[in-house]
Amino acid sequence: MDNPSAPLPSGQSPPDRISSESSGPSRRAFLGGSSAALASTTLASSAGVARARPQDGPRLTGLSKLTLTINGEKRSVEVEPRTTLLSLLRHRIDPPLTGAKEVCDRGNCGACSVMIDDQPAYACMTLAVDLAGREVRTVEGLGTLDDLHPVQAAFCEHDASMCGFCTPGFVVSTVACLEQEPEADPSRIRELLSGNLCRCGTYPHVFAAAETAQGMMAGGTLDAAGSREDKR
Amino acid sequence: MVDPTIRWKSRKKLNLLNTEYPRVDASAKVTGSARFSHDMRLPGMVYGRLVMIPASRATIESIDLSQALATPGVVLAELAEEDKDQVRYLGDDAVVAIVCGTSPETAQDGVRAVQIEWTPEDNMLISEEQISAPDAPKINRRGNLRQSGERGDAEKTVQALGSADVQVSATYSVPVQHHLCLETHGCVVDYNGGDEATVYASTQAVSGNPGSFARHLGLKSSQVRVVCQHMGGGFGSKFGIGLEGAMACRAARQLKRPVHLMLDRKAEFLMTGNRSGSRQVMRAGASKDGRIVALEVEAFKFGGTSGGSLPTPPYMYQVEEAYAKINTVHQALDGNRAMRAPGHPQASFAMESMVDELAYGIGMDPLEFRIKNLSDEAHHRQLRRVAKEIGWDVHPNRSGPGKKPLASGQRPAGAPLPPAGDHWKEGIGFGVSRWGGGGHGGARCEVRIDSDGSVTSSCAVQDLGTGSRTYVGTIVAEELGLGLNAVKARIGDSALPPGVASGGSVTTGSVAPAVQHAALLAREALEKKLEPVLGAEPGAYTFDKGRVFVTDDPKKSLSWQEACALLGRDPLVVTGKHQGKLADGGVHGSQAVRVAVNTRTGQIKVLDMVAVQSQGLTLNRLATKSQINGGMVGALSYALFEQRVLDADFGNLLSANMEDYKIAGAKDIPRMRALIDDDDMRPTVSGMAEGTGVPGAGAIANAVYNACGARVRHLPLTPDRVLEALKDA
Repeated sequence: MDNPSAPLPSGQSPPDRISSESSGPSRRAFLGGSSAALASTTLASSAGVARARPQDGPRLTGLSKLTLTINGEKRSVEVEPRTTLLSLLRHRIDPPLTGAKEVCDRGNCGACSVMIDDQPAYACMTLAVDLAGREVRTVEGLGTLDDLHPVQAAFCEHDASMCGFCTPGFVVSTVACLEQEPEADPSRIRELLSGNLCRCGTYPHVFAAAETAQGMMAGGTLDAAGSREDKR
Repeated sequence: MVDPTIRWKSRKKLNLLNTEYPRVDASAKVTGSARFSHDMRLPGMVYGRLVMIPASRATIESIDLSQALATPGVVLAELAEEDKDQVRYLGDDAVVAIVCGTSPETAQDGVRAVQIEWTPEDNMLISEEQISAPDAPKINRRGNLRQSGERGDAEKTVQALGSADVQVSATYSVPVQHHLCLETHGCVVDYNGGDEATVYASTQAVSGNPGSFARHLGLKSSQVRVVCQHMGGGFGSKFGIGLEGAMACRAARQLKRPVHLMLDRKAEFLMTGNRSGSRQVMRAGASKDGRIVALEVEAFKFGGTSGGSLPTPPYMYQVEEAYAKINTVHQALDGNRAMRAPGHPQASFAMESMVDELAYGIGMDPLEFRIKNLSDEAHHRQLRRVAKEIGWDVHPNRSGPGKKPLASGQRPAGAPLPPAGDHWKEGIGFGVSRWGGGGHGGARCEVRIDSDGSVTSSCAVQDLGTGSRTYVGTIVAEELGLGLNAVKARIGDSALPPGVASGGSVTTGSVAPAVQHAALLAREALEKKLEPVLGAEPGAYTFDKGRVFVTDDPKKSLSWQEACALLGRDPLVVTGKHQGKLADGGVHGSQAVRVAVNTRTGQIKVLDMVAVQSQGLTLNRLATKSQINGGMVGALSYALFEQRVLDADFGNLLSANMEDYKIAGAKDIPRMRALIDDDDMRPTVSGMAEGTGVPGAGAIANAVYNACGARVRHLPLTPDRVLEALKDA
């Protein structure tokens, strides 16, 4: 059947929520009439937006040199005012630290989670230029393949990763959670991990891993600290 | 001829398979050392960004790249198509240029500096009113709305409806859902001129893609290697190379340097496909004794420029007389792609809801009504099991929605409690799934044993997070009596023996039999080397705990190392291929959900979800549970939160980031139990993940009704919709 003008059933909820202006001047009319208007699109007004820091004197431009500590090592870096910590880690140091992932790049998902002076932070929401003298810990600074941090060991044991893209962020947030609140109960752990998103649906195993790691960090061992439900 | 020696070990003899064990790449993932395409850094590499016009319909007047080219750090700015003068839909068709820069920031600077003059069209062809306007341009050459399927006898169905004791008319709709892979689509093309290239691609089809990349690089398939060691999600959206892959190749070819082109998050929402939406207008009838006697469906699929997905109703349940008419609605939007059981969650939500409405309509227990109208015994036993786990047997609201909060004793021990207050009502709902799975030919696996005892198992399959890398190793370790990490698994590289594309839950059923075949061949070849030393014929040996011994005379034995030393300088290399008898499709799942509904605010809190899933022989019980959990979480998110939001006037997507497109997070996750159906004793393997995401949304909606009488027929089940539905309760 080829019938583009066939009526659609009315009065039913459309499959997409669609915003539409039914009365008053439309936004397009406001812009000057659709057929005559040329929308001139420059996708943003200027390249590179610097944060005003009046107390420090003039507006920052170009590259700024600063020294910070990354995973225990003093690093001197050059960054633009707009360079995020995430971009610094992933693109401006050699070798790059790519454990922190860029997913949303606006503080929604936690895949770039790091610790700054032992506080959890989104690297994508942190300007590198503000980090002079600060101490950054990334997932690479927690444990190594041969010597895993208890949280990392528990994540392995409980299969708390599927595709693995959110995993470094979850590991860092879990470490931060358990360092700050070693006694956190399961609901508090969820609260503290709620700044991280996973799309594969690994959450139940992440929570189990966090509880196991909590036991390990309190002095237990992996075996003694907790066991998976329904273990064969 | 069927070779009787080609088989899986019996379940009792398995040491690794069918147990819970961690995946072999877990430590790489938890330490951040797992390298995704996104993480590739190569000498001289530049970053690519695509320039898009933010409208579904537009005339392009001019595009000026000069300022972009003059931007510091920009090394390339080029039109996507020379004479492109129109945007026909919001998706890859809205891409007008590519910019490459020496850093992601400079590439973005270049994008900002592109000057585009464009005129929006009057009709953005997004809303149903717009696409059905008399003068609406055609999005698809067959029209914007067309009938695309029909099944059954309309007249007989109407008659059967008339004879039903109870009739229900209802319309169900679901929005478009995005895959939302955390790693965006894209690739890193390592090309420096010359006649060879390596592409690090986030792809579900490592073996299948060298040709596509080669075409855009001006090379032959044999000159392009595709590598995907880790990928951040696919869910059905990453089979082809996409426009982003083609553009990356083009830029690399021109620049003769590596190009990193991973889409930014907004482009990911706009041009990488989605799960199509649907509206299903239904009339159904049941007899008093609990039979579904008739079902009439008119369905509309919303797949943008593509056709949309929906299995033709009736879905899953036995219906005596059914008629279905399927229509495809085209909008000037990105076309749908396969997404974890394409079409099935849409069909399931409507059918499970309707089944529930019929059951309550005739005053029958909805669990019993389901069992009566499902033909597969697997569903019957599974439904009884999940019902018991969720507490249906002690639940008070079994023939209609509850009026009062539950009393103690009306939940099973250990059931999560709802928040405090009389306005929180509790209910239970059910849903079922069936999925094809199984496998097909084409996959090969090479097993190599060296004289130092090291073993490698290689196949070009990719691991989307399912655990395929792990079983490529552990299947071989199991057959050779070795430990968990004794076999090095090599995957994700098109230079290896071919794998299959990962779709339809067929990866396991296609690849694992080839791995097992290779393991058996390797074992047989090694036994031939043992014969002169230990005296027994091939077939008379047992491989266990790192030793090989003659089965009837265990004193005659060698350690694994000693046995492999017999190989001398030449490694033992065998190639296995797919063996149909080692895989079998047809997997079943049943799920039950307990929710609490706040009747003042309309908020839904899922308290408990339980799934039981069959698949034959389970290769890794822990990874399987992860995937079942994943299916349930995906369905919960689809049920409660996810929806694409469009601006029909301006032809733009408003929910193009992760704060406006909400998915389930840590605090939304209920208690979850993923149970493997061990009553399915088939000596075969199959994937099963697609089915696990199917029943959840319907089950949650049914639980909401069971709790408080609010029948919400549209996803997501937002509080406003719950409150609206409560008016009719």
